[in-house]
Amino acid sequence: MMFSFCRPPLLSIVTCLGMVFLTGTLVHADEQFWALQPPAEPSPVVLEDSSWAATPLDALVLAKLEEKQLRPAPPADRRTLLRRVTFSLTGLPPTSAEVAAFLADDSPLAFTQVVDRLLASPRYGERWGRHWLDVARYADSNGLDENYAYATAWRYRDYVIAAWNAGKPYDQFVTEQLAGDLLPVSPDASMHQEHLIATGFLALGPKFLAEKDPQKMEMDIIDEQIDTFGRVLMGLTLGCARCHDHKFDPISTEDYYGLAGIFKSTRTMEHFIKFARWYENPLPPRDSRENSPTALGATEREVVDVPVHRGGSHRDLGITVPRRFPTVLAGDQQQPFGPRRSGRLRLARWLFAGDHPLTARVMVNRLWRWHFGAGLVRTTNNFGILGDVPENQPLLDWLARRFMENGWSIKAMQRLILLSQTYQMSDRYDAQAARIDPENRLHWRWSARRLEAEVIRDALLAVSGRLDSTMGGSLLQTENRKHVFHHSQPDNTRYDFSRRSVYLPVIRNNLYDVFSLFDYADASMINGDRPTTTVAPQALFLLNSDLVYQATEQMADKLLAERLTKPEDRIQQLYLRVYGRPATDREVARARSFLEQSVTDLMASGGTPQSARLGAWQLFCQILIAADEFIYLR
Amino acid sequence: MAQGSPIVKSRREMLQTSALGFGQLALASLLAEDGEASTAGPAAQPSLLEPRVPRLAPRARRVIFLFMLGGPSHLDTFDPKPRLDREHGKPLPFPKRKIKFDGTGNLLRSPWKFRRYGQSGGEVSDLFPQVARRVDDLCIIRSMHGTNVAHGAAVLKLHTGSDTFVRPSLGSWILYGLGTENQNLPGFITICPNLGYGGVKNWSSAFLPAPYQGIPLANSAVPPERAVVRFLENPRISRSLQRRQLDMLREISRDQLRQTGPNLELEGRIDSFELAFRMQTEMPEIQDITAETAATRKLYGLDEQATANFGRQCLLARRFAEQGVRFIQVTHSPQPGLWDQHHSLRADHERNARQVDRPIAGLLEDLKQRGLLDDTLVIWGGEFGRTPTVQGAYNERAGRDHNPDGFTIWLAGGGVKGGIRYGATDDYGYHAAENKVHLHDLHATILYLLGLDHEELTYHYAGRDFRLTDVHGETVTDIVS
Repeated sequence: MMFSFCRPPLLSIVTCLGMVFLTGTLVHADEQFWALQPPAEPSPVVLEDSSWAATPLDALVLAKLEEKQLRPAPPADRRTLLRRVTFSLTGLPPTSAEVAAFLADDSPLAFTQVVDRLLASPRYGERWGRHWLDVARYADSNGLDENYAYATAWRYRDYVIAAWNAGKPYDQFVTEQLAGDLLPVSPDASMHQEHLIATGFLALGPKFLAEKDPQKMEMDIIDEQIDTFGRVLMGLTLGCARCHDHKFDPISTEDYYGLAGIFKSTRTMEHFIKFARWYENPLPPRDSRENSPTALGATEREVVDVPVHRGGSHRDLGITVPRRFPTVLAGDQQQPFGPRRSGRLRLARWLFAGDHPLTARVMVNRLWRWHFGAGLVRTTNNFGILGDVPENQPLLDWLARRFMENGWSIKAMQRLILLSQTYQMSDRYDAQAARIDPENRLHWRWSARRLEAEVIRDALLAVSGRLDSTMGGSLLQTENRKHVFHHSQPDNTRYDFSRRSVYLPVIRNNLYDVFSLFDYADASMINGDRPTTTVAPQALFLLNSDLVYQATEQMADKLLAERLTKPEDRIQQLYLRVYGRPATDREVARARSFLEQSVTDLMASGGTPQSARLGAWQLFCQILIAADEFIYLR
Repeated sequence: MAQGSPIVKSRREMLQTSALGFGQLALASLLAEDGEASTAGPAAQPSLLEPRVPRLAPRARRVIFLFMLGGPSHLDTFDPKPRLDREHGKPLPFPKRKIKFDGTGNLLRSPWKFRRYGQSGGEVSDLFPQVARRVDDLCIIRSMHGTNVAHGAAVLKLHTGSDTFVRPSLGSWILYGLGTENQNLPGFITICPNLGYGGVKNWSSAFLPAPYQGIPLANSAVPPERAVVRFLENPRISRSLQRRQLDMLREISRDQLRQTGPNLELEGRIDSFELAFRMQTEMPEIQDITAETAATRKLYGLDEQATANFGRQCLLARRFAEQGVRFIQVTHSPQPGLWDQHHSLRADHERNARQVDRPIAGLLEDLKQRGLLDDTLVIWGGEFGRTPTVQGAYNERAGRDHNPDGFTIWLAGGGVKGGIRYGATDDYGYHAAENKVHLHDLHATILYLLGLDHEELTYHYAGRDFRLTDVHGETVTDIVS
């Protein structure tokens, strides 16, 4: 049957697709690479059974499923859905009260209201700011050779969290990070501060500060900035063109050095003489208590154009390339860059002007990745020819166009995704679907996935009642520009705080154990698609670490202090707290038997009845924490 | 990828396979216990760490890398320069390199005598009298050169092939290429590594899957008898109680799997807990050296204060090698000053060498006696050498600066020709001059000895195929036996 979209009731922000018809699989024009064409409104689709598709997004998903004779999984049950969306938006589990309230609310708008509540929570910015910090390769130390403290970097981290919480439109967010120092000076000191702090994005990269060759160091730093700019904001591996024309994408060395001029005309370093010093912007004090604050970031310097460095070497220079955008994206008739400004502000504006083919696609794909665990383009930082080809380009393009139309509002885009049927599917397994689409690229079900390192720690602290929700500021113990550690000085960074993980120091080369164990592996790399590995050291952490022991002992202690008479009531209470659901009879029986045996064992090895009881419950709490149901998002 | 090298499907598929073995069998066995047969599961995936047969004939099966942090002087150890004796105090007769780490003065002769040893007559200075006795096993490459004059960058270049970008380390590439032989132990262990100068990046897998990263035994600040894998011990509960916890966890996981259907990641988790449990027993057993004989203790210098620490590191390396660990690194970070003698060369190089000479000689002898040297490649060296020109005054405080343009690394065992000196520096030991071997060439050669072609061992990431040797590297076939 024909499927016609009217304005969906839940999505006032969505523009209608109008009538849609089936066109079959999209075929790329050979001469024109898909990612370099502006996103197009999808051709109409016809669906055999449109009853499931509540939104245009769902229709586009369903069209692909029907092509392969697949059906979407049924909706997730309400407990699972609430847990999923709460972790997804805040990085924390729902409380028992939130679960009860949602189960009791049978209004058709109940889920919409949950989404709106979570998007408005300050916990949202902590969760989604952290996602952005992954691609901004955020860290509190330099890493590489001389590992000095970036002791003002936390201001950038707090800026990011606040920006997400405030719903700052993406175009403004990115423009501030690339060129905040060039925006009109706001009379509001805290806004002016924000703009300067935002440029930390350019300055946060790892640098070889003991490099003895200042020219090499400068070009290496510029390269790191170009690479970050290209991969984070456009999904293009521009860095490849440093030494030779890009082997696969239409990016030449001239394109590279045209951009290099913009970054070379930008100051992020005070000097390049060993040991080099990075630049910090002086910040206007917001009030009298602030004593000449600074933040690492960018400012203007002498404007230069850069010659091609043949083979990437500064000792073999070719023609000088005037500053410009890559030809394949901006054509060869570009307005020249002026002699007075680096051109960063223009660079930022260009990303958001007209029909830039990549900016919106790359970001909506990131949002999709962070919600679903895999991007529509799996290679989130590479939309080039060697990147992944989207299985569902009409969907990607439709999302990209909505993103631009809605003023680059990130929260509106997330709302659109979360209120779809696609997001709300269960993870029900289907053997036939698994044969046809084993990676679930077409979204025939929800793909369960492991929580990230920070979320595991935060959730553990939350269910044990220890989480401190104080926001912002620095927990780094090291002074700015001092070694966080070196070959003979141990790292004294502390992590024994109960604050959310996003506020813990990020020390390159010596990341907090819990982070590195659970795949937050390297704070020097742009990380748009964290891997999920399953290695034995994770199990050792869950079985033997002080952090897990203390949290689970506290859980047990709290549980035993509650006025519950029957052990099964305590078991039920614990399941509700940890998993957001009651235990089954089988689970209760199993738990009781485990607890009884453990008490016997602990008493046999010299424990008192009280200590054995606490010990047994601690062991049991630890099992629930270590189990898949706690660590995996379904 | 060439035939015979790792079968690499998508990154995601790889990551979904269990990290340390057994994944694909777990569900079947779990369900079988329940009287249910596993049906319609995804095809079995090879485990990331399963041992693989390389395409080329391997001459070595494992590597022990003895890393001397700071830059030991080739001119005072394995590369004698009589002209320095003759021209002591005179200027270097040609310009020094443009990018220097620090300023240096005129030529400085070595404070140590060189003597010829063994049938091969290889020259070794009096700093290494014990290693000298094994000279017929050594392939001394005197024409090493690198690119970077600063420690951090040079250390990373040696370990990862790059002083510019974050790249997987040598051990990770080897694990990726070959897997490992003992699925109860990590395949890449680094004993007491230094956290400075790139630290964890020197054993990180960067963009390769995490199971290929090195597992550190503590770090250089911890004495080796206390160096253990993080979170290995639980002093609070008995092993039997923990066993009960694991059994319960296994039951819960089985329930979960019934709901999710076949799921390699969840099955891999069950395995990872079992491996962790076994590692708690296996690692301490391997690290418990009380059963070693008095003769072995003596061989490694365990009973002497100067050599006890490094001796234990070397002995652990042998014990891990015996158990089938693929890549073992042993780091020597002498304090104060590392092997980085900008001053007090005489006193501090002597102290450093005394700490490692006997243990290294002992390791070589022990490996040989046990028949392990034939297929174990031992590598000795630092991130660069030192200048023939002096830092400071001509007195006891005299030192030498960093020199990445000419230095020595030696190899032994695992398919290299013993008793040879390969390549040469110029008459002053400043530049590699004959048969030059760049660090990229060394990497290519190490891979070759293990049966891997450095141009074929690639990994697709961020839009291109990466190699340990980037676009460089030539295998030095002249030193292959």
